[in-house]
Amino acid sequence: MRRARLNIAGRSARLASATLPAIVLAACSPEQSALHPAGVDATELANLFWFMTIGGAVVWCVIMGAAIYAVVGKRRPRSERFADRFVFFGGVAFPTIGLAALLVFGLALLPDWRGTDAPDLRVSVVAEQFWWRLAYEGEDGVRIATANEVHLPVGATVEFALTSTDVIHSFWIPALGGKMDAIPGRTNLLRLTPTKQGIYRGVCAEFCGTSHALMAFPVMVHEAADFATWLAAQRQPATASGADAFVAAGCGACHVVRGVSEAGSVGPDLTHFASRRSIGAGTLELTRANLDDWLIAPTHIKPGVRMPSFATLPDAERTAIVDFLLELK
Amino acid sequence: MSAKPAHNELERETGYGTDLWRVIAAPVVWALHFLFCYVYGAVYCAKAGRDAPLDQPTIVVIVASLVALALIGLSTLQIWRVRARSLTDNDFEFEHNTPEERHRFLSHVALMLCVLSAVAVIYVTIPMLYLSTCR
Repeated sequence: MRRARLNIAGRSARLASATLPAIVLAACSPEQSALHPAGVDATELANLFWFMTIGGAVVWCVIMGAAIYAVVGKRRPRSERFADRFVFFGGVAFPTIGLAALLVFGLALLPDWRGTDAPDLRVSVVAEQFWWRLAYEGEDGVRIATANEVHLPVGATVEFALTSTDVIHSFWIPALGGKMDAIPGRTNLLRLTPTKQGIYRGVCAEFCGTSHALMAFPVMVHEAADFATWLAAQRQPATASGADAFVAAGCGACHVVRGVSEAGSVGPDLTHFASRRSIGAGTLELTRANLDDWLIAPTHIKPGVRMPSFATLPDAERTAIVDFLLELK
Repeated sequence: MSAKPAHNELERETGYGTDLWRVIAAPVVWALHFLFCYVYGAVYCAKAGRDAPLDQPTIVVIVASLVALALIGLSTLQIWRVRARSLTDNDFEFEHNTPEERHRFLSHVALMLCVLSAVAVIYVTIPMLYLSTCR
């Protein structure tokens, strides 16, 4: 904790006050907890965890009890036959059968891919340093691009097709299920079925560079109807006015805002930027002040990010860009 | 080394020679079984593709496991004859560095390795029963 404080003290006071409570809160909130499952796979994994923990505790107690008994207990002669059997059952048979049972229990949790039905929803995920490029597959097969925020309908089986453009990342929503690596040149499939509505947090679970810890994303699980409304809205082009400053500053070289600028695709799609909760892949809450900070010094907030600083822009122009971005609902 | 004779030396005539091959026979069977299962599985899946079912490899692996267990069983049977069945009793005379004692000790090790190898072969086989496709 002290180290985290010192680290943050180097940044602006406003940033510190914005980030620190979030870090502290994240430690106790169930939104990123595998022990508060909100999906089919996560429930199985939580059960496995509790089974292993309790089973391990029981075995530990028995062995410690036996050790204490051996040291402290009264010395009574035992027959050789008893000793033989004790060593055989306690030292050979029990570990062998116990480990085999654990192996079977773990293997039974593997998903069965044979003849699996088509998923209810397909989402393509491209992990990049240090953000998530997402594309939802609409009902007519059209790809709906978005970034850094996953929305899912409750009760539906969603298939994520994961890949990466630079290094190995890992896509993990602890509340919904296990993690899966995103590997350059390969597509891995991960199926998740959320069972509870709510807001969760997903993370990159494979160290991928300086801002690995800032490569997160909020996950919203909605009612099916609400999800359909959200997806339909994401499909629309941007409706905001006042894009002049955004275009003049060259933002379009890296960011797509459908209907305004569709040339560059280095950074996240910003078409419905203001509908999201966070800036910089789960790094900061989306507020006017944070957005202004981000434009001034992105690498200060998120080391290693490829976005350049726009501190040299006149304040009026930067404000105009912020106004425009916040209108991209 | 003391020259004190073992109290039951006469009863302990079990033959001479330290046949190292017999000691490592079971682990060798396990290693070959392990290699065969993984190499066969990898080659099969490389040819058949990610979505291919694993029915044929499952049968092949089960047959290979039965063969491996039979070989290990054979080895166990030979060694079983050498020594008494106890795990803990004092049937070693540690002070005696005679060919006979070495033979006895190595037979004991070999028997333990047989059991371990059999368990290892079964553990290699179990995952195959739970995998349904090459994915």
